[in-house]
Amino acid sequence: MNNRMLMIAEIAIMSALGIILGFVKLSGPWAFGGSVSLEMVPIFIMAFRRGVAGGVLTGLMIGILQLIINPYIVHPVQVVLDYPLAFLVVGLAGLFRPKSKDSYSRRIWLILLGTFIGSLFRLISHVISGVIFFASAAPEGTPVWLYSITYNSSYIVPTFILTVVLLALLSKTAPKLVHGE
Amino acid sequence: MMDNVIIGQYIPGSSTIHRMDPRAKLIAVFVYVIIVFLANNWLSYAFLGIFTIGTVLFSRVPLPFILKGLKPILWIILFTMILHLFMTKEGPVLLDFGWTAIHEGGVVQGVFIALRLLFLILLTSLLTLTTTPIDITDGIESLLAPLKRVKFPVHEFALMMSISLRFIPTLLQETEKIMKAQSARGAEFSSGPIKERVKAFVPLLVPLFISAFKRAEDLALAMEARGYRGGEGRTKLRLLKWKGIDTFALIMVGVLIIVLFLLRS
Repeated sequence: MNNRMLMIAEIAIMSALGIILGFVKLSGPWAFGGSVSLEMVPIFIMAFRRGVAGGVLTGLMIGILQLIINPYIVHPVQVVLDYPLAFLVVGLAGLFRPKSKDSYSRRIWLILLGTFIGSLFRLISHVISGVIFFASAAPEGTPVWLYSITYNSSYIVPTFILTVVLLALLSKTAPKLVHGE
Repeated sequence: MMDNVIIGQYIPGSSTIHRMDPRAKLIAVFVYVIIVFLANNWLSYAFLGIFTIGTVLFSRVPLPFILKGLKPILWIILFTMILHLFMTKEGPVLLDFGWTAIHEGGVVQGVFIALRLLFLILLTSLLTLTTTPIDITDGIESLLAPLKRVKFPVHEFALMMSISLRFIPTLLQETEKIMKAQSARGAEFSSGPIKERVKAFVPLLVPLFISAFKRAEDLALAMEARGYRGGEGRTKLRLLKWKGIDTFALIMVGVLIIVLFLLRS
């Protein structure tokens, strides 16, 4: 089969899945604002199966879909940083793509590293977005960095932990799914 | 845990705003998001308010849907209001508590920021309330068309968006079906210790992903079998039509820019 076509179809379907998994939430004590959901799982799976291109494109699609389905726009720069860019950078996890013949412990390390980098870049994108928004809305002297980092890590850190645990479990129970054939 | 899932906010209607070309709406909203920042005194905010609320009324979207869209912004508005009340020390003192005082400048700044956020959310959510996601995608594809010259795969991009939007309801049904099936086998998604809930996700994700990848493969195969080969020379089912009202809307946005420049201090 034409690989380009398959890639297009996979990215599209995985983005749709990302939107849906965004509704599958893990409720807990982190309930102020952002939520802990599974929306990053498809991006990481694409990144680990198909490398950076698959991950980055799936992330970009999920960001843009979120933007046209349920936008939350408070500043022109915030739009770009909170939607397309924040999810695009998650796909960079593909830099640490494990091979299917790697040992389980090596796969886990690479998954941990990739998921960490992806989540970290997403956090950075949201933090900068928050700082830009607050700088335009809050009075001078507000500790904007502190607010933005606290607020955004409050949901990204638990999401990261949940995602790593799930991907590690998936890599064990369904290695073909996470790492391809 | 998946209750009240509503994908997209589109409210069908037949107002002029509903019938506008998505390209005109996208350009108008894009420009609006930038020029909102021009307003900086009572007069310019008042004019911006008349324009924004007028547009919202003109769309005839029922009020409850508009108000629902405003809910998530209320906390931010309240938060920035309070910050301004206590931290902006400009103008005469209105209230003196001894340990802190509220200045007139703080109240004015707080109200301005609140209005700006309110107007931004009102107009941007109006776009998604009156335009279907698929129309927005068509609009984006058409607006990005010039990028084809620099080899940006505009057509593939729009194709992926349309496939995603088409499959969101299908995959949503499937997710719900698998969740129910696993709940019937004793999986707990929304109660119990956190460790058990996380573990319960695995038997949800495995079948979901396997069937999604299978679907992608079938889709790619079907497209190839039907001779799909990219955007070159391809005709469209839904054609966008630029009408007089679209030009008029953009002229109105132009007028808004000029007036804001004249009114701002």
